[in-house]
Amino acid sequence: MTDKHSFEIFKVIDLHKSFTNVDVLKGINATVKEGETVSVIGPSGGGKSTFLRCLNLLEKPNSGSILYKGTDILNLPNKKAVSSYRQKIGMVFQHFNVFPHLTVLDNITLSPILEKKMPKNEAEDKAKELLNRVGLYDKIAEYPTRLSGGQKQRLAIIRALAMEPEVMLYDEPTSALDPEMVKEVLQVIQDLALSGMTTIIVTHEMGFAKLVSDRVMFIDGGLIVEEGSPEQFFESPQNERTREFLSKVL
Amino acid sequence: MLDQLSRIWAKYSFVYWKGLLGTLWLSAVTVFFATLLGTVLAVLKLSKFKPAQWIVDIYVEIIRGTPVLLQIYFFWLLLPRLASIELTDTQSIIIALVVNASAYVCEIIRAGIQAVDVGQQEAGLSLGLTEFHTFMRIILPQAIKNILPALVNEFINMIKQTSLASVFFINELTTSYRTVQSTTFLAIPALLISGIIYFVVTFTLTRGLNFFEKRLKANDR
Repeated sequence: MTDKHSFEIFKVIDLHKSFTNVDVLKGINATVKEGETVSVIGPSGGGKSTFLRCLNLLEKPNSGSILYKGTDILNLPNKKAVSSYRQKIGMVFQHFNVFPHLTVLDNITLSPILEKKMPKNEAEDKAKELLNRVGLYDKIAEYPTRLSGGQKQRLAIIRALAMEPEVMLYDEPTSALDPEMVKEVLQVIQDLALSGMTTIIVTHEMGFAKLVSDRVMFIDGGLIVEEGSPEQFFESPQNERTREFLSKVL
Repeated sequence: MLDQLSRIWAKYSFVYWKGLLGTLWLSAVTVFFATLLGTVLAVLKLSKFKPAQWIVDIYVEIIRGTPVLLQIYFFWLLLPRLASIELTDTQSIIIALVVNASAYVCEIIRAGIQAVDVGQQEAGLSLGLTEFHTFMRIILPQAIKNILPALVNEFINMIKQTSLASVFFINELTTSYRTVQSTTFLAIPALLISGIIYFVVTFTLTRGLNFFEKRLKANDR
């Protein structure tokens, strides 16, 4: 695992973000290496989601820099460059955000056809392969309203994968799911991470974070309070706030 | 009463047919141009250009805050003074009706677009879709479902509002009533016939809309 972790995908330097007088991020410094799986945990309102959303520019930071493979993505020249960058970063949301007016198949093929100019049949072949991979092939012609929460989230994941991203970001992907559907979604995320996909996941699933991550980040009050390997982080947390948080959730 | 109704209809139906044509023509022109202007206003309102937003806000507030009849008088008095070309009464009234309805259309379209969950836009953008594609392929198709029913209601309002053109004796259904009433002195039956024709037109539209709405909702829960 060491050699594939050598290359820095993200380097975040002194990232600040505020929303009308509320400072949400107060100087985040972090690196994520290629193939790494990083879990971001912490209390609500601490800035985890904002941090993640800054990484694909859904939020515009006030200051600092985000280097993606050495390029500062906060100084991209135009909107086209922003779109091209986002194509490399898959994002999965808490509330799935599948497109209700499109069939399952069209949800997946829309952006490869529109933005990657992929021929329709090629995009559909790829979509079918992805649907098979997550066990949704029989839903191919359905509209998302006919899917369960777990199925919607699996659809959202492969919709992102259809763009062949280099990184996957997950923003609390299981928080809106009924308990019995959490596992099927985490399984997909885990399989992907193990196949070498660089993964950053904001989650409240401590068991999952412990099992799958290479590194755990604890964000509170707009700062990374502590980070480390899952063993070190969960067995012997160094920081008082980390200990307090873990005592509440474990 | 029924007797009077049928006698008026037998003798003056041509006046009502002519009036109906006038009403339908006025409505069609108003609906077309008000939708066009309302869409442009909504686009300005949703743009990131602040002065354009303010102008649309002021426009919408003033139009919605004053009676349409007052607006008709206003344009009828003002436009001939401003325009170097001569405007007929009909043209002045059409402009007033279009201006009035466009404010409502603008609000309907704006609200319909803003009612689409912001997560949909984020999902589109995060997939690397351009802002234009996100709007055209993700936001707009969902917004149309919100917009269409309210818009057709507004069309029905516009049809009814063309009756105000009777103030200037422009050919339409309420003017037909005034014509027949002044020849026959049978006010109530003459009015009833106009009312029935209005109702048939708007009722047909409403039914048609309901059918269409059900089809649209087919893939909603």
